[in-house]
Amino acid sequence: MIEARDISVAIGGKRIVSHVGFTARPGEVSAIVGPNGSGKTTLLKALTGELAYTGTVTLNGRDLSAMKPVEAATLRAVLPQAMTLSFPFTVREIVRLGLIGGRSGVLPGEDARLPERALARVDLDGFAGRFYQELSGGEQQRVQLARVLCQVWAPVLEGRPRYLFLDEPVSSLDVKHQLIIMNIARDFARRGGGVVAILHDLNLTAMYADRIFVLSGGQLAAAGTPTDVLNDELIEKVFDCRLKVGALPSGNTPFVLPQSAA
Amino acid sequence: MAADGDRSARARFVIALLCLTLVLSVFLSLTSGASDASAVRVIRDWFTGAVPSDGALAARDRLIVYDIRMPRVLLGVLIGAALAVCGAVMQGLFRNPLADPGLIGVSAGSSLGAVAVIVLGTTWLAPVTLALGTLALPLAAFFGGLAVTLLLYAIATRQGRTSVATMLLAGIAISALAMALTGVLIFMADDRQLRDLTFWQLGSLAGATWPKIGTVGPVIILALAAMPFLSRGLNALALGEATAGHLGIPVQRLKYTAIVGVSAAVGASVAISGGIGFIGIVVPHVLRLAIGPDNRYLLPASALLGASLLLIADAVARTIVAPAELPIGIVTAVAGAPFFLWILLRKRGVIDL
Repeated sequence: MIEARDISVAIGGKRIVSHVGFTARPGEVSAIVGPNGSGKTTLLKALTGELAYTGTVTLNGRDLSAMKPVEAATLRAVLPQAMTLSFPFTVREIVRLGLIGGRSGVLPGEDARLPERALARVDLDGFAGRFYQELSGGEQQRVQLARVLCQVWAPVLEGRPRYLFLDEPVSSLDVKHQLIIMNIARDFARRGGGVVAILHDLNLTAMYADRIFVLSGGQLAAAGTPTDVLNDELIEKVFDCRLKVGALPSGNTPFVLPQSAA
Repeated sequence: MAADGDRSARARFVIALLCLTLVLSVFLSLTSGASDASAVRVIRDWFTGAVPSDGALAARDRLIVYDIRMPRVLLGVLIGAALAVCGAVMQGLFRNPLADPGLIGVSAGSSLGAVAVIVLGTTWLAPVTLALGTLALPLAAFFGGLAVTLLLYAIATRQGRTSVATMLLAGIAISALAMALTGVLIFMADDRQLRDLTFWQLGSLAGATWPKIGTVGPVIILALAAMPFLSRGLNALALGEATAGHLGIPVQRLKYTAIVGVSAAVGASVAISGGIGFIGIVVPHVLRLAIGPDNRYLLPASALLGASLLLIADAVARTIVAPAELPIGIVTAVAGAPFFLWILLRKRGVIDL
């Protein structure tokens, strides 16, 4: 379990996140949603120890601030938003980096084949020999996800659940790959791991999240199951946008929902 | 058959090839020079223990090979390897293929130290130079480089985190300051000192002696020996500091080790041989195109190629205007700069600056 109590983060004297409580359970996909600038990424960076914070964060009951980098790396992997690379790495070399600090959890002899398996998971079969810099944004994002998956390949290691932190994992993906990636996240949770994902698409969130944390102005506006949280009132208040939950478009305007995927 | 995108087999092959190149370069350097001394004969005599028939001539050859060419070759190997490896490490640390020890002011600090000894050695710093003798110059350059690096580190580190961007920019400012102070010293210098300064700044391996190698050799060897332990961390750092941390790399310790190691090795190199440019940028660049940016192979390959290239450049410097000698910094710049531009223009797509 990931438990965060009374988390506040200030950057350059300005408070970005204030007094947020957060819990992510193994076996669940926990989504963080909220408008731009509401502090979602900042909260995620505090939860992963990347930014200094006040309050406490515990991973499986242990204080995050007391962990060495390598200890934290065996318990959780982090997918950042898009990143640029200044050196000509091949896709395989990037994915392999997932194996350098943590423990994938597969048998020792299988580590060498893990990059290919991870690439196949994210629908990038045969991309291992390509240059990372020559891929499209969406492909790069999936390569990074493959790297992250290698780091915590087994969702449970030695009886302890492990976690995936995903910062907008589907932001530059087409609809097919959005579903593939979200299915990977759900599968990771079903097999005993925990997933924390920042999402923008409320439909995808409703479809995949077991628990939603809504941030607004750096504070927690609501938390609960999709049914509890996603209602007209909250959406208007938080997103400043008058939307109706469950309303169908009038007339014959086509609409496509991820829920309709076969 | 290696897996797709796995360049480790190729990297190992290239490293084997570079070992061979280095052996050939050493041989070339030992046997070429302004005099016609025969290194082959000296080495053969040395191995066989034979007493040469023509004693006087053999003694002269031995002197040239043992006391002039050998220390020079060893120094070339050490400095070439140090400059290339330090370039590769700096580039990994700054995640920028154009980073170079010259960039963060290490070289400028070393220059300031050396110039201070040359210009003030007979006046203000006379007690120091008198006490240290010929070691005064290398030591001053070494401490100049180290002082700049520590100052930079203090400026760029806040609450235990080093900002690479701040460090890069502060390095440019401190470089400018060090160069201005160097300028003041040059302004104060007399004609003879000016000549010394100019030649030292252009770079040369000509001053190589066994005592000098005894001073800087251990520093360079120690720094180079520490570098392989950084390679995994530097690979992770290519994804950014935060991600490297998430992958389990102790980023602060990695940065600290890299910075201290680089300033020690570069300070020592600049002290002895002055400003030898482009080795630190061109060598890692070429190798990244050949074997990829994996530092586990890039660092040893850089050491080998850097050493070989510097020896070849030195052989050119010694012979092209024989019996005079061209400063080696001129050779590396004349060959290195256009080559570097050519790489950039050819591979603009892959090397994303």
